[in-house]
Amino acid sequence: MANSPEEVAKHVKTYLKVGAALLFLTAVTVWLSYVDFGTHSRNMAIGLTVATFKTSLVVLIFMHMNHERPLIYKFMLFSMLLLGVMFTLFVFVHDDGLIMRGYQAVFGKH
Amino acid sequence: MSATTTTHDHAHDDPAHDHAHHEPGWLYKYIFSTDHKVIGVQYGLSGLLFLLFGFFLMMVMRWTIAYPGVPLPGIEFLSGLPVIGDVVVHWTERWAPGGIVSPDLYNMFGAMHGTIMVFMGIVPLGFAAFGNYVMPLQIGAIDMAFPKLNAWSFWLFFIGGMLMMASFFLPTGAAQTGWTNYSPLATTTHYIVKNTWLTGQTWWLAAMVFVISSSLLGSVNFITTLLNLRARGMTFFRLPFFCWAMLVTSFLLLLAFPPLEVAAILQLFDRVFGSSFFLPSGLIQGGKLLDISGGGSPLLYQHLFWFLAHPEVYVLILPAFAIISDVIPCNARRPLWGYKMMVYSALTLGFLSFLVWAHHMYLTGMGTTMATYFQITTVLISVPSVILLTCLMISLWGGSIRFNTQMLFATAFLPMFGIGGLTGLPLAFSFIDLHLHDTYYVIGHFHYVVAPGTIFALFAGVYHWFPKVTGRFMNDTLGKFHFWPSLLFMNVIFGPMFVQGFSGFHRRWYDGGKAFEATTKDLLWTNELISFGAWGLALAQVFFIVNLWLSIKGGKKVTNDNPWDATTLEWCTPTPPGHGNFITEPVTYRGPYEYSVPGHATDFTPQFDGQASGASAPATAPAVASHH
Amino acid sequence: MEIPYTVTARPDTGLWNAKIGVWLFLASEVMLFGGLFSSYIFLRLGADYFWPIHELNVKMGCFNTAVLIGSSVTIVMAWAGVKMRNYKMYFWNLLITILCAFLFLTVKFFEYKSKIEHYGVVLKDGTILLGHQPEEGYRYKFNADSVTLNFKEADPPYFMRFATKPAGEHGGAHDEHGSAPAEILPIETVKFKTESGKETTLAPADFQALKSEAKAAKKDSLKLTPVQPLAFHAKPSKLASHSEKSLAFLDGTLIEGKLVSDKMELHVDVIDTRAAPDADKSMAWAIFKDAGWKKAFDESREEHLKKFNETHPGQDPMKSDHYLREALRFEVHGETPAAHEAKHKEGVGFFDDMPWAEHHYPTVEIEGKDIQRWSNFLPKWNTYYAIYFTITGLHGAHVLAGALVMLYFLVFNSRWFKTDPEHLANRVETGGLFWHFVDLVWIFLFPLLYLL
Ligand code: HEM
Ligand SMILES: [Cu+2]
Repeated sequence: MANSPEEVAKHVKTYLKVGAALLFLTAVTVWLSYVDFGTHSRNMAIGLTVATFKTSLVVLIFMHMNHERPLIYKFMLFSMLLLGVMFTLFVFVHDDGLIMRGYQAVFGKH
Repeated sequence: MSATTTTHDHAHDDPAHDHAHHEPGWLYKYIFSTDHKVIGVQYGLSGLLFLLFGFFLMMVMRWTIAYPGVPLPGIEFLSGLPVIGDVVVHWTERWAPGGIVSPDLYNMFGAMHGTIMVFMGIVPLGFAAFGNYVMPLQIGAIDMAFPKLNAWSFWLFFIGGMLMMASFFLPTGAAQTGWTNYSPLATTTHYIVKNTWLTGQTWWLAAMVFVISSSLLGSVNFITTLLNLRARGMTFFRLPFFCWAMLVTSFLLLLAFPPLEVAAILQLFDRVFGSSFFLPSGLIQGGKLLDISGGGSPLLYQHLFWFLAHPEVYVLILPAFAIISDVIPCNARRPLWGYKMMVYSALTLGFLSFLVWAHHMYLTGMGTTMATYFQITTVLISVPSVILLTCLMISLWGGSIRFNTQMLFATAFLPMFGIGGLTGLPLAFSFIDLHLHDTYYVIGHFHYVVAPGTIFALFAGVYHWFPKVTGRFMNDTLGKFHFWPSLLFMNVIFGPMFVQGFSGFHRRWYDGGKAFEATTKDLLWTNELISFGAWGLALAQVFFIVNLWLSIKGGKKVTNDNPWDATTLEWCTPTPPGHGNFITEPVTYRGPYEYSVPGHATDFTPQFDGQASGASAPATAPAVASHH
Repeated sequence: MEIPYTVTARPDTGLWNAKIGVWLFLASEVMLFGGLFSSYIFLRLGADYFWPIHELNVKMGCFNTAVLIGSSVTIVMAWAGVKMRNYKMYFWNLLITILCAFLFLTVKFFEYKSKIEHYGVVLKDGTILLGHQPEEGYRYKFNADSVTLNFKEADPPYFMRFATKPAGEHGGAHDEHGSAPAEILPIETVKFKTESGKETTLAPADFQALKSEAKAAKKDSLKLTPVQPLAFHAKPSKLASHSEKSLAFLDGTLIEGKLVSDKMELHVDVIDTRAAPDADKSMAWAIFKDAGWKKAFDESREEHLKKFNETHPGQDPMKSDHYLREALRFEVHGETPAAHEAKHKEGVGFFDDMPWAEHHYPTVEIEGKDIQRWSNFLPKWNTYYAIYFTITGLHGAHVLAGALVMLYFLVFNSRWFKTDPEHLANRVETGGLFWHFVDLVWIFLFPLLYLL
């Protein structure tokens, strides 16, 4: 862990840079949402990709998940897994063909 | 220290313990205490009271089922009582005119019976009470990792419980749509009223938010304690299975309850702010189109609810396994068979329990792919359950069993849980479930698991740890008078339910099926039989209540800190343990179940015994904490 | 007695207690917001209406995103400040974080306020008109011949609260009685007759007397006839049902008489014809007396169609959500078609959609029979606003909780900087982890609710 004062001091610049990157990406997200990519699903896919990238920055740098103890990774991986289950199965239960249609909405029919 | 008969004085008589801090006042010692043991006892007593109350509701329902339309006995007597008489008169006027239980009252008691038993009875007893009291002692911790949070957890639970109780006295009465509270029924009951905030259903939801927050704090506390406060030498695979089961239960509570909180909040919004999360477009109530936006989905509610409620059933059963896995080896004088296998099974069980929830929703018309998926995972999850049960049974093999009361309850638990689990298997298959869903068969299935299952385990736990908590034994003869009729009546109650279910008795019939006499008449007599079983069970509990009451002050005194010759760390504390639990820093030298180890002087070698052979040096970091 | 590992990490787990605690808490929070987000997915996939896009104030949302990102930087800097033993760095960064939290909540407050004041009306053919209502809101105007009190629930009857306050308009309650229409008599002074012919009022003492009389007679209800003509302006949300001849209030009070008018007045700012079977035949065009509005609508639609055909040659515009939103959802920018045209030419100003901007909109009157349903932009309006208010409300509660916890650290734990800096660093780190999580939720909320 980055615990000694010297090490922490080294990180301070990174924090500022990440903050600037996050602000920039926010502007990008807003701009992209007004661009017409043909289908709205594409806008969704692009916007959420940027958002996911932003959250990874927060998690890895600000929350120090780039150098955390194994135990914490285990907790979080488990809850992310359950999150995935919740996201997909809730809707999937009533609509077997959903994933295929979602794929086609973004990438088109082949 | 050798495992012989030593008694410590009560910790608070120990001068070494008192010099550092003065005694807290009565209020802070017993009411707002942050000591895990006091909190455990608080949870235990309130849990028992809720259990009793929930049972009382069911007895009223059983009367109506057996004798529909016949006035309840005893109302006159209650009305004549001094203080509560007026309340009874007033209340029965509204809900049971002429002493005849109204359909609304039946629904109310049904919903509240389920809610109170599950959320305010079993979980607080199994997880919160036993977990709080025993787990820190078993790992050699001086308290929970966050004692203040622990007290908050209890008081949030208490507020939630009181809200539930108070809701009986609202003009609309308490919640009336089953413990599952399915929307749209739950949303639209008492929906067009002057103030939806003042309705039973809304209070149910608000109370649940409190209870859920409570269990969240509890589970964070349990896990942190288990990970960080283990004593010297207490490696993970020296943890008693009890602690493992509590760890898994905590994770279930931690991760499964939030979706229910979401469901409660969304339904609350639907009720009081008029949103349509769970209300489809074009919903008609009483012949009138409701003034709502629609666009929501009742299925969303069911997903959120069962995402919690399936893991919840393991929250009900794992603490039972926890207790049984301590009581059986101790009284069979045999090590727990397949300890590691049991640990891995519990972990698997915990994980899989998140993946099976929609087996409660086969009738909602899910796609075939998903129905297949949920059938497979449901059958899979029965494998670890069977492993747990089998290991416990094998642990009895070749033992020299002491049939004291706790052991009777523990051994009875095994077949009872077995029946419950096995009757679950057919339900796992959607083609059978289509027939059995919402019948008494399902009621029989889960009650076998929870009533003669978990509740028996809880009784076993009470008899087992009572001497540690109070310094006195419970009476074994009264205990046996408690056990045998309980075992008999539990089966009289729940056995016939399978038969009723097969012949199509619906689980929510107010008159027990009298209105459908053409198809039910052959089995209507079983309603009466079951009701007699319920009242018999009530009588059997008198022995328990009397025993508990008398033993607290007048039970035989404990003269040995380890009266059952057990092996885990809680038995090396003073009796009862004082604030801080241990007199000297506890050290663990061996596994948790060294019973009848060949070559040892006694038939048990406690974990804290560093002299007997097989002791190995502590593996984990030393606890730096001072013990004062 | 002291709990071990509150400050230093336990060697084998490498963690101190609160750090395990907060991460577990966050795991649980992941499931809480996860449940909400999966509800969002479920509702959106199942929505049977046009899911709003760019309908919230993007500028305010964007500003708030920046505020949260800024505070995420400052909180981690505050932690670094403690670690580097730099008090000023710690103190100021923590303070700024807290201020950012309150700034966020203030902006949110104004966003909510503008939604609460904004109404939508679904007409019978599916056309939706958005706009503002006059101060009193929507009221049914009703002349009462009799009032039946229901003693089972009403105590005191509910209608009293607003029957006494008909807006200054002529024809309000008991204006025949007062000298000027603006002067409103409190309902307590209005005289009623009971069935037995006794005169009474609804003043609290009289009401209680009526109630006990009814109780003595074992009756739940009592019919009163006003001695002088009595007119009501009834709030629809307080009614269980209404017809030409009666108003039934939620508390059981029944008023019989004659419905005078159930017209709704609305200052319209959007005409959304997407859900109408045919935009050209939308009921809106009958409601707008000035035919210029339909012309303005047609022109704007032409313009969008041209643009669409240029950018998406050969595609069916009616299959593009984007086109439908731009062309069939008509935003009104002035009080008259001419003013609208002028504004359109001049271009909409950058800050025109902020709460402080002044607007003028055409006012229309909508017959009660033409209205399918109406509501302000609260959870009741549709599942989008329902989930918007639920998630952002819970998120706001988290922001507030985080701010209070950090304020507690600032006020009560800052002295540890000298005595126990590592413990302080742990506290700030714990608070910070929670704060980053709150930021992280917002990073998803912003695009999902405002942009996409
Ligand atoms: C061992 C394997 C088990 C299997 C395969 C199983 C399967 C099922 C299935 C498929 C249902 C749904 C029936 C329906 O509603 O139509 C059900 C209901 C239920 N099960 Fe189990 N179960 C098992 C163990 C347990 C355990 C251990 C518990 C609790 C401690 C439990 C408690 C319940 C409850 C409470 C319900 C009914 C919920 C309700 O509808 O109100 N089950 N079980
Ligand atoms: Cu289940």
